[in-house]
Amino acid sequence: MISRRALELATAVLAGSFGVAVVVSSLDNGIGWSSAGVDAGTFPFLTGIVIVLGSLYNLVRGVLSAATVANVPIAITSIELRRLAGLFVPAAIFVAAIPLAGMYVASALYVFSVLAIPRHQSMPRALAMAAATALALYVVFERLFQVSLPHGALAAALGF
Amino acid sequence: MDNLQELLHGFTIAVTVPHLALMAVGVLLGILVGVLPGLGAPNGVSLLLPLTFGMQPVSAIILLSSMYWGALFGGSVTSILFNIPGEPSSVATTFDGYPMARDGRPTTALATAFGSAAFGALIGVILITFLASWVAQVALAFGPAEYFAVYFLAFASFVGMGGAAPVKTVVALAIGFAIAAIGIDTVSGSVRLTMGVDELVKGVSFVVAVMGLFGIGELLVAVEEEFHARAVSSKIDWREVFRAVGRLPRHGVALLRSAAIGCWMGITPGGPTAASFMSYGIARRFSRRGRHFGTGEVEGIISPETADHAAGTSALLPMLSLGIPGSATAAVMMGGLMIWGLNPGPMLFVDSKDFVWGLIASMYVGNIVAVALVLMTVPVFAALMRIPFVVIAPLIVIICVVGAYSVSNSYLDVVMMLGFGIVGYLFKKLFYPLAPLVLAIVIGDKAEDAFRQSMLISKGSLSIFFANKLVTCLIVGGIALLLLPLVLQLTRLWRRPASPAIDTPAQEKVII
Repeated sequence: MISRRALELATAVLAGSFGVAVVVSSLDNGIGWSSAGVDAGTFPFLTGIVIVLGSLYNLVRGVLSAATVANVPIAITSIELRRLAGLFVPAAIFVAAIPLAGMYVASALYVFSVLAIPRHQSMPRALAMAAATALALYVVFERLFQVSLPHGALAAALGF
Repeated sequence: MDNLQELLHGFTIAVTVPHLALMAVGVLLGILVGVLPGLGAPNGVSLLLPLTFGMQPVSAIILLSSMYWGALFGGSVTSILFNIPGEPSSVATTFDGYPMARDGRPTTALATAFGSAAFGALIGVILITFLASWVAQVALAFGPAEYFAVYFLAFASFVGMGGAAPVKTVVALAIGFAIAAIGIDTVSGSVRLTMGVDELVKGVSFVVAVMGLFGIGELLVAVEEEFHARAVSSKIDWREVFRAVGRLPRHGVALLRSAAIGCWMGITPGGPTAASFMSYGIARRFSRRGRHFGTGEVEGIISPETADHAAGTSALLPMLSLGIPGSATAAVMMGGLMIWGLNPGPMLFVDSKDFVWGLIASMYVGNIVAVALVLMTVPVFAALMRIPFVVIAPLIVIICVVGAYSVSNSYLDVVMMLGFGIVGYLFKKLFYPLAPLVLAIVIGDKAEDAFRQSMLISKGSLSIFFANKLVTCLIVGGIALLLLPLVLQLTRLWRRPASPAIDTPAQEKVII
């Protein structure tokens, strides 16, 4: 399980490092005043500074006030964490599979595996739903709205 | 009355068969995203956005705004029947709506909610009808300095009145600004903040951010809790509908007060969620039956619903007349306006009269269509809630992935969308507000341009922000709002130095 304090710290560190990246990157564009007016990097530089300072404040507050937010000391219990992973990990694998398998095959596999592997649905029903998802995507996007979704390297290799 | 004439002209645009059909489609899709947890008005509207590129702007905005009304109504349906708020802004409706429905009066609860929601929306639209063009006229005289001051005031009011922890709001805003700055700088043409990734030159679309923050993020929050849809009966008794609506005028004070709170919170970017909570809290304090709140009180339904819809509607006023959206959904719609080639702000009232007044007229009609459709379809959408969450969740993931991809046919957008999903989850979990983040992504560039243009005019001197009364008032007001939380904190410490902020967790629950 993950405590509220750890989550606050992690988020503050994440936001803060984004701020640092913004500050460093905006220095390349130049900050301050030049003949062309305010330099391109100035505004991002300032927002980066604000992010860093704000995150430092949140970081310190997250450490110090852990006692006062004690009525919610645990942010994510282990059961919740498992549920989160159960949703997010397959979703991430699905996104990772898109360049290779293409949107249609990847989404069908995704729906099938999410429904069939934890036995939420019977095999044939999961298969039917997977096929229906891919077909619906194809009809709506490729046919109705003429938006081409990625077909993937696999389909390209097979000559589609 | 120029406005009324323009409005009548607007009705001739809005009340045509294709537009009425678009309203019906929009409202139904809106109820759908409103009912489904994990999909809400902001990402519902951004999902539809790519499909509107080929449309006339006025048809497109009618479709999108109808979806917004539908989503606002749909959120209340699940709040009342299932005790599951489909939208953050309908959380307060669960407090009295669900108890009343559970006690065997679901029709009364629903009809009361929809009736007062329609009243709130009506007040909001009337406000827009009479105020929007006036505000736009004033704003026509604005220079870059005044514009920056108005943006500054908008951002500051999030910090001062948004209700979330002020520093977290500031961080959310600043992150939004930084994301808005990614890509090619419109003033100098130089490439900024791409961190070495060439594909980022095109910038980060707000649609991608909204899909992740609100779509995946909300899904992750929803999956944490075991999902029980224990429905009370969803049968509608039509006679009771009219009786319940007929009883509404008895609560005239509550209706008017909540509408006023809603309009205020919608125009200043407090947003519908804050408005409904605030209205509920005030009603509980001032109502004679305040002690019974939470057990199915009529006013406990009227107050949040009226304020929610009044705020949702009036959030479009600053978007239309100043180019500053009052809520996350309004921000997404404004992004759409810019994509369709319109320039949100006062010039809209001069250049695209048909668009503005067609939209305003469609709000009157759209809300009537929404009330009728939502009452008729309650059983259908209630049945939808019985589909297990494990089936709905992957479908929503796929919708978000496809939605993010279709913005600019970029795989990188899909990966970023997933990243925004994690950020959205963390932010929701830790009470960082999401609306300012989206707002900053959409109008960050404009605020920056306004600042740089005014600096060019004044040759680098900040005195331009105190050059005349108007701009000084706006800037001073903004600074006052920024400092408001600090002042409140200090006075609290002054009064009782021994007790540190014990009330924050309770307060935190009320906001998001």
